[in-house]
Amino acid sequence: MATAPVPGPVPGSLRAWLLSPAPASRRQARFGRWFRAWLGFRRNPLAMSGLAIVALLVLMAVFAPLIADQQSATLQVLQDRLQPASWQHPFGTDELGRDIFARVVFGSRITLTIVVMVGVIVVPVGLAIGLPAGYFGGVVDTVLMRITDIFLAFPRLVLALAFAAALGPGIENAVIAIALTAWPPYARLARAETLTSRRAEFIQAAELQGASHLRIIATQIVPLCLPSVIIRLTLDMAGIILTAAGLGFLGLGAQPPAPEWGAMVSSGRQVLLDQWWVATIPGLAIFIVSLGFNLLGDGLRDASDARS
Amino acid sequence: MTEISRRLLLAGAAAAPFAGWVRIADAAAPKDTAVFAKQIDDIITLDPGECYELSGIEMCTNIYDRLLRYEAEDLNKLVGGVAESWTVSPDGKTFTFKIRPNLKFQSGAPVTAEDVEFSLQRVVLMDKTSAFLLTQLGWSKTTVKDLVKGSGDTLTLKITADFAPSLVLNLMTSIVASVVEKKVALANETNGDLGNGWLKTHSASSGAFKLLAWKANESVSLEAYPGFRLGAPPLKRVVVRHVPEPASQRLLLEKADADYARDLTPDQIKPLASNPDIKVESFKAANTFYMGLNLGYEPLANPKVRQAMKMLVDYDGMVKSFLAGRFFVQQSFLPLGFFGAIEYVPFKLDVAKAKALLAEAGYKDGFAVKMAAPNVSPWTEISQSVQQTMGQAGIKVSIEPMELKAVISQYRGRGHQIAMLSWGPDYFDPHTNADSFVHNDDNSDTPKTKPIAWRNKWFIPDITKEMLAAAKELDAKKRAEQYAALQKKVTDEGPYIFMFQNNNQIARRTTATGFNPGITEDLNFYRTIRKS
Repeated sequence: MATAPVPGPVPGSLRAWLLSPAPASRRQARFGRWFRAWLGFRRNPLAMSGLAIVALLVLMAVFAPLIADQQSATLQVLQDRLQPASWQHPFGTDELGRDIFARVVFGSRITLTIVVMVGVIVVPVGLAIGLPAGYFGGVVDTVLMRITDIFLAFPRLVLALAFAAALGPGIENAVIAIALTAWPPYARLARAETLTSRRAEFIQAAELQGASHLRIIATQIVPLCLPSVIIRLTLDMAGIILTAAGLGFLGLGAQPPAPEWGAMVSSGRQVLLDQWWVATIPGLAIFIVSLGFNLLGDGLRDASDARS
Repeated sequence: MTEISRRLLLAGAAAAPFAGWVRIADAAAPKDTAVFAKQIDDIITLDPGECYELSGIEMCTNIYDRLLRYEAEDLNKLVGGVAESWTVSPDGKTFTFKIRPNLKFQSGAPVTAEDVEFSLQRVVLMDKTSAFLLTQLGWSKTTVKDLVKGSGDTLTLKITADFAPSLVLNLMTSIVASVVEKKVALANETNGDLGNGWLKTHSASSGAFKLLAWKANESVSLEAYPGFRLGAPPLKRVVVRHVPEPASQRLLLEKADADYARDLTPDQIKPLASNPDIKVESFKAANTFYMGLNLGYEPLANPKVRQAMKMLVDYDGMVKSFLAGRFFVQQSFLPLGFFGAIEYVPFKLDVAKAKALLAEAGYKDGFAVKMAAPNVSPWTEISQSVQQTMGQAGIKVSIEPMELKAVISQYRGRGHQIAMLSWGPDYFDPHTNADSFVHNDDNSDTPKTKPIAWRNKWFIPDITKEMLAAAKELDAKKRAEQYAALQKKVTDEGPYIFMFQNNNQIARRTTATGFNPGITEDLNFYRTIRKS
């Protein structure tokens, strides 16, 4: 730190470097922008609680074997069925005597897997369709956007149900079914972002320098689109989790004995009147995680929105 | 805005299965109507010449009168339905029935021998799943018109196969002997289907009830027929609502929106005991709960593997916990209460022994297998329990939960590896189960009939012969011995893991009385129900 070339007060030099009104390099400018966004984000307690929930979810999924016993998530102990909460079973046991706590903890892995895989599929697909549509316009735009419209015309859950039923039950198929129904908004978003910057001077400059279309899209337009796409994805996570839980509830998601939260709610319905915890606890888990992603997404949007 | 509305939609869709509660809860059951809450998604037709599903048989037995019957008043006594009396020729090949005079169809037309002739013939001519019940008598599409003859008040049946007369008479109490009004059926015929398409959702009967409406996966509505042979039923209507969730059934019963709940689990029944308005009764039923193992799937063709799998089911654990009161262990194709049935329970959960057998068979590390099971309770719980215990010996069972109908049609097309299902007898004679579980002398893809043994590709021409001999045996004691030997053989070697026989546990409002289900669906009479 002693050799820091940046002028200013020595304590908090990194902060000063980041907040410098006259950045010396592009890198400094970019980091500075991110840091300012983070400062704005940090002032928003709701967004911070959303971040905390999502961070907890990720930690829970990663360290699941340390938190709960993997075996007891699927081990049936018929003598101990439908037990209320106790020290041995913090959330009680379900209709086959399985520990609900362990099931909720390991269920987070399934939820997170679905969310991540859907994100990984949806963003590239959305960009691949939205960017050319906005960039080239004309016939390309019309064709790609009408295809998008067709997918948008179906109610999302119903379409996901149809796909999941046709593909057969299972996590992978649920992911594909959800991804197939979730990409159109991303395509539209990417197209809109592209349109706004399509005639910007720096794009024209790049064109004059002889850059290919592919190069312009990849290096100039994609970075402009990504932030809004990522924010949109965070906001969508709640919907994706709910859709996944809905598929699981209807028996089209993860298959038994996998501790998928939606399937757990479904099996708990039968004893809802007397053993409320069997359905309620995984239901709460779905609720909290969806809320967390929503708050996080809202916070990110507020923090990144330069226009407001 | 779109964001919010889409989220609402998702929430709404997730709550959709509960919407049924809300809607039903508004309609209170009126005094002259009995309302059942029951799983009836197995119904695919209500044409008595085609219907072969448990709930469908229960509906048809209340809608249609039959040639002979076991009546609610004495479930063990064979009496005439539309027949007043009958005689059997000394050689046991010709059966003559006298039709009751003054019987009327619900349309007002008299019931004649010609109608009975038509009803029996159309079962053979239409050749649906249940047709084998009659074709086994030696009737075929070409000969049935000569062998089944009715004129005036006399019906003559000739059989060409060797069958004990008591078995033939018992067959005439089964669903295929339901009497359909010929004129009405033919008036609604399309493309020579003998009225099959129309009768799926309509009735042309002389029974205690008329079919008002069947809405698939929703309800069956029946209206009493005042001119019924045994007098008008006390209630004007019976409505059977399809309520797949035991919890919703219980809620409906507690709120007095249903008079009877038919599929409650022990978890639902326990808290009901303290409710003074509700009474729980238990009746022995004759359904066999089992798994069919398709020998077309390599590992399952190995007898040692099957033997091992039979030791990998926690029969006692299930019966003592989530199936308590509802099921008891019976590992035979004959349910207790049937002629010749033996109490036979050779298999218990024994992982070590099963592992040894699997190793001997060359499957030391187990194998993967798919299991089709209906997606409602108690199937979901049973299948998961089996999945766990089989897993302990390395057999990786992946459960494919689906609608009951889908399991059945996959099973009938031999498309399964393991199918978990129940079986209910068609008439009150051991031959009904034996002929399905132990009959396969044509393993080709297009046999004359498709009994359960065929569905599982269990090719057993010799055992089939033994089974058919038992059907013909006239000496009751010898016949019982033959069935005992068959049961042991099938349980030990067959492609079936027999698990349970059921008790009919029925919860009712104390205001509704008189529904005392018998051992088979044929004996579940609605006409005796009263309400106060």
